[in-house]
Amino acid sequence: MNKILAMILAGGRVNELNVLTLFRPKSAVPFGGMFRIIDFPLSNLMYSRIERVGILLQYRSSSLITHISNGASWDMVGRNRGAFILPPYKAASSSTWYKGTADAIYQNFDFIDEFDPELVLILSGDHIYRMDYTPLIEYHQSKNADLTAVFTPVDISSAHRFGIAQIDNEDNETGGRLIDYQEKPANPISSWASLTIYLFKTSVLKKRLNEIGQENSSFEFGRDIIPRMINNYRVYGYKFYGYWGYTRTINEFWRANMDTLGDSPKIDIENWGIRTNLDHRSIRDRIPTVITSSASINNSLVAHGCHIEGDVNNSILFPGITVEKGAVINNSILMFDSIVGEGSILDNVISDTDVKIGQYSNIGYADDKDLDDHALTVLGRNCEIPSDVRIGRNCTISPNIKPQNFKTKSILSGETI
Amino acid sequence: MDQILAMLLAGGVGSRLNVLARLRAKPAVPFGGIYRIIDFTLSNIVNSGIFKAGILTQYKPYSLMKHIGTGVPWDFIGRKRTVKILPPATGEKYSDWYKGTADAITQNISFIRSHHPKYTLILSGDHIYYMNYISMVNFHILKNADITVGMMKVPMENANQFGIGVADSEHRIIGWEEKPPQPKSDLASMGIYVFNTDFLFHILNENYGTDFGQHIIPNTLKTYRVFAFPFTGYWQDVGTIQAYWETNMDILKSTTKLNLQNWKIRTNVEEEDMETDRSPSYIGRNARIKNSLISSNCIIEGHVVNSILSPGVRVKQNATIKDSIIMHDTIINENSEVDYVILDKNIKIGVNCMIGTGELTTSNIKNPDHLRSGISIIGKGCTIPDNMRIGRNCVIYPNVIHFNSDYITCGATIESAI
Repeated sequence: MNKILAMILAGGRVNELNVLTLFRPKSAVPFGGMFRIIDFPLSNLMYSRIERVGILLQYRSSSLITHISNGASWDMVGRNRGAFILPPYKAASSSTWYKGTADAIYQNFDFIDEFDPELVLILSGDHIYRMDYTPLIEYHQSKNADLTAVFTPVDISSAHRFGIAQIDNEDNETGGRLIDYQEKPANPISSWASLTIYLFKTSVLKKRLNEIGQENSSFEFGRDIIPRMINNYRVYGYKFYGYWGYTRTINEFWRANMDTLGDSPKIDIENWGIRTNLDHRSIRDRIPTVITSSASINNSLVAHGCHIEGDVNNSILFPGITVEKGAVINNSILMFDSIVGEGSILDNVISDTDVKIGQYSNIGYADDKDLDDHALTVLGRNCEIPSDVRIGRNCTISPNIKPQNFKTKSILSGETI
Repeated sequence: MDQILAMLLAGGVGSRLNVLARLRAKPAVPFGGIYRIIDFTLSNIVNSGIFKAGILTQYKPYSLMKHIGTGVPWDFIGRKRTVKILPPATGEKYSDWYKGTADAITQNISFIRSHHPKYTLILSGDHIYYMNYISMVNFHILKNADITVGMMKVPMENANQFGIGVADSEHRIIGWEEKPPQPKSDLASMGIYVFNTDFLFHILNENYGTDFGQHIIPNTLKTYRVFAFPFTGYWQDVGTIQAYWETNMDILKSTTKLNLQNWKIRTNVEEEDMETDRSPSYIGRNARIKNSLISSNCIIEGHVVNSILSPGVRVKQNATIKDSIIMHDTIINENSEVDYVILDKNIKIGVNCMIGTGELTTSNIKNPDHLRSGISIIGKGCTIPDNMRIGRNCVIYPNVIHFNSDYITCGATIESAI
């Protein structure tokens, strides 16, 4: 579709994801055994035949730039196809960081103008979901809408975390006109939460950004654009009923990963057809996984290039994980090129890339019985855990921590190194 | 090394690989889960720092052409790099199939000429090994040789399968016999040759013969400087089903010298008609896997022991795979047992089947020499109905889906529905 251009906001960090987003934006966080979160919207675009996309960066973008490369992984190379990385830039007059999602689009409007699309589809690079955008586009056009935003039903108790809309019954299950919209309301008027997917008529988007851009305060689609369009424009809500992984907290991130496991997983990675960049971290050049006679694995996702001699249960192993003899891994996520030494035990651990764990250490050790079973311990990138230590639950080990940084052999639950 | 051009002879029929090589050339036969046999030679070329190669095809080249693609997986892309598929062509002078290895090179001489390399390295795409060809070229230069042949010691009882040379203490070849019934030495040719390109052109112009092993080497060694480069590493000719199975299993041995990781073997993981990437493998709650190589995108709910699984293999509940090689996207359904079997790609095994079962009473009746240890092979795309039993040393040709009996006895070959 030549008349549509997609823009992905991929620069956000998300504090609650802790050390996982210290060196990369959330969209570049590894997920599901070999993917990055941004692979989900990119694959969705590919299957929706939207083949031109601008990707807006801001926070620590190098791993994302490597990952996107020229977009070939998502079939976005060709005469009228392309994935374009848009870093923040210094302008002649003003040069500030983006003041919000709308500002990010506003500051890159000359990129949009170059393509002169009829429609601009604005996506977040942070969410895990499978969606064909084609029915959304068709709905938008059939309503001659100026803006169509996508909403999904959430539990009312968590509705205060989202942009919440009241949608009329014009088209029942499909969607309807937006009657009201409130950003993160204390008392939510409905349980329809915004997926932060916005489809705009380009002319209307440009007009609204230019008008509001002058005001120079915060500049967000949710807070500043949508509520002020409801009365004067044709703003519609399109309803989405599929799986949606918001993953704003460590716990949500862990749960969404666990949703890839089981006999009929909620996130069916294979059937969703998610693609990734196989050159990033040389996924394509790794050998098949070796499972020795001493290994035992169940209900786990195991990528290639692993070497497993120990026990792995309900866990997700990215490429290049070595699990030595007698090591036990339960309910954990181990990202790229890490080693779990002989006899070490991991429970409810999220371990970032390039981590080395010594022998006979116990991480996620239940020393505090009051903590719930899913209190997670997070190991930062490139850290090295010595042998024979005990680390409790809810602990954080910062990136690049080395054995000499450990003053004691026992880290209590809730501590941070 | 800009001065070296590699010419890879990849046209072999591989008839002793039986149904595995029925729809593809031998170098394109899958190996080690995700690889094809030719990946070893291609990776050796690039890992030796040689970035120009021509690949000569002849027999069923389609899988091979798809696999090589643009050469990206082996890093053949760049201004001074190239990998080209050279199919047989009818020309004014030549309009026949290749009459031998030297004839194949002769017919592609213009490709060599266009790259004007100082040395031409002639390789075969049929072997599993790791070798730095630069040390062989350096040996060639040091010896001031006209031809250098890569050679290694093999067990005497196997020597009759190879070109066998006799070398003096300076490694100069002074005698040569091709596949001799009574070998005079155990020094076997690996089918690897380094030529000074000018000398190669000269030799091919004279009437020395159409095959390097059969004619050129024996006919030139008296007049020219022909040397044996002594190779001592791991090298396997996977030309027979038995050798193919054993070499695959070598990957699983902790003592093996076959080390995919250290050898830096690259392959092309892109497959046609695959819209998605192969996702990580899922290992279910009742799965049990011992001493096996598991590629991506498998779903394993049953038992896998001492086996090699390519991408996309499905092993359902209570199914058991033992001592077997299972290729891409093959499905083994509930309660079926697969023992000492090679299953090619896209095979469906029904429920309650026993594949590779019963006593070993006879060799394969059609191919008694090549299939006698008990391995059964099922060709690409077969569907094996529920409750079927297939004995040992059996061969099922590709795409067979109807069987008239639910028991295939030891040694039988099924070519089509009977």
